[in-house]
Amino acid sequence: MTSAPTAGNAPAASADDVIVAVRDVHSSFGRRAVFQGLDIVARRGRVTAIMGPSGTGKTTLLRLITGQLMPDQGSVTVWGQDLATLEDAEIYRLRQRMGMLFQNGALLTDLDVFENVAFPVRAHTDLPEAIIRDLVLMKLQAVGLRGAARLMPAELSGGMARRVALARAIVMDPELLIYDEPFVGLDPISMGVILRLIREMNEALGITSIVVSHDVHELGEIADETYLLSQGKVVASGSPEDLQRSNLEVVKQFMNGIADGPVPFHYPAADYFAQLLADPGT
Amino acid sequence: MSAPGITDSVPVRTLRQLGSVLLFLLQILRQCVPALAQPRLIVAQIYNSGARSVIIVMLCGFFIGMVLGLQGFDLLQRFGSEDAVGIVAALGLLKELGPVVTALLFAGRAGTALTSEIGLMRVTDQLTAMEMMAVDPMRYVVAPRFLGGLIAVPLLVAIFDMVGLFGAQLVGVHMMGVDAGSFWSQTQGAVAFHDVIEGIIKSVVFGAACSLIAVYEGYNVDPTAEGVALATTRTVVASSVLTLLFDYTLTAIFLKS
Repeated sequence: MTSAPTAGNAPAASADDVIVAVRDVHSSFGRRAVFQGLDIVARRGRVTAIMGPSGTGKTTLLRLITGQLMPDQGSVTVWGQDLATLEDAEIYRLRQRMGMLFQNGALLTDLDVFENVAFPVRAHTDLPEAIIRDLVLMKLQAVGLRGAARLMPAELSGGMARRVALARAIVMDPELLIYDEPFVGLDPISMGVILRLIREMNEALGITSIVVSHDVHELGEIADETYLLSQGKVVASGSPEDLQRSNLEVVKQFMNGIADGPVPFHYPAADYFAQLLADPGT
Repeated sequence: MSAPGITDSVPVRTLRQLGSVLLFLLQILRQCVPALAQPRLIVAQIYNSGARSVIIVMLCGFFIGMVLGLQGFDLLQRFGSEDAVGIVAALGLLKELGPVVTALLFAGRAGTALTSEIGLMRVTDQLTAMEMMAVDPMRYVVAPRFLGGLIAVPLLVAIFDMVGLFGAQLVGVHMMGVDAGSFWSQTQGAVAFHDVIEGIIKSVVFGAACSLIAVYEGYNVDPTAEGVALATTRTVVASSVLTLLFDYTLTAIFLKS
């Protein structure tokens, strides 16, 4: 584990500090282009937020960073290694240094909470049972769910499931933590818990974090660096305050939640009156 | 490209599908050896697919055996050789009905469960989560389930045959009055070792085919509720058709040799 600077006031980063670099990435699904020249950098020990309206390919970006998907053009580098040049086994080795929190937790439904958290440890180490037990209980204690160790995932609420998933994501002490929409569908209390955990993880352990979300206010509290995506590109980046002050229409629309603007309210359609007055069936 | 008519035609699609199933099989086989290092996972799957299917297999085996006893007796007594009813039942069960009916039951009972289980793991991101934890789901999820099915089906076939023969004996000897001694001695004399081998080979092939289809459909499911339903249906249909197709092919090969 590195002794990274705490969040907030890191100096201009050297090349060593760049953990994830997405350079000029083009990516498409079938005929639909998702990214057209995307550039994103995540630095050591910092919380990088990636925001954007639904359908801007935030999840696709995470798949690119974790090597589940390769870009059509451009490069994705993680710890200085270009993912496109790596064998599957090497990508798997890189993933052992990452943790990922899924939107719905993605807990293994046939294992209880304890075994879910122990799963990566059992898969990658030969640690004795007593140590695994302590390790798992410590991580569960950190998310406040040590008492729920023997519950099955089906017995957990949404917020609890996400906290268990967070314990699982950090059980191998990753250097990079990736959060996919960590705030969606949480009540305010669970939201506060998750926010606090993300911040603690970053400040106390120096973990580099990438948070994909569209919760502007929550991200404002934790992010050091924010990227706003729209139409396959980064339209604005900087600290959350920079984005709040931005004069760009699309940024204003997103940050203030305005229904219509550069991102149109209406899905492209024929003329409204013409369609209403036309014969039915056309 | 410019010829969707050709690339989308049924033969091309079928061929492509077949290719992807075979590639999937190769991937599984590559993971089978490391999967064997975790026998606990395989034993759990033998229990899930095999042990939980025992009751239905015994029930069906029993009734099919009794039907064989009735029909066999009815046919054979026209030629005055009703003592041979044991031969009809034993050979019918060992070579055909045991492997085929068990495979069909397995596809309906265990195959659908495998498909929907793996499919739901896909829908809820569990498979992706495993990949993110640097754990290959082919090794931890797919290979143990495939091996579990492969081992369970021949065992189920053996149970099916045994219970079926008991049913045939019950009807032939106890209801129709065939002499128990001649029932068993004729059966013993007529059933050769290669008949048993034939049944075992068939049950292994059917077990492999049904397990492969079940895990393939689950793993490659379209991640929606409708996708899981469709995949489950396809598992039953494809397993049944393939079982009968392989049955004919294997029977033809065995009769020639």
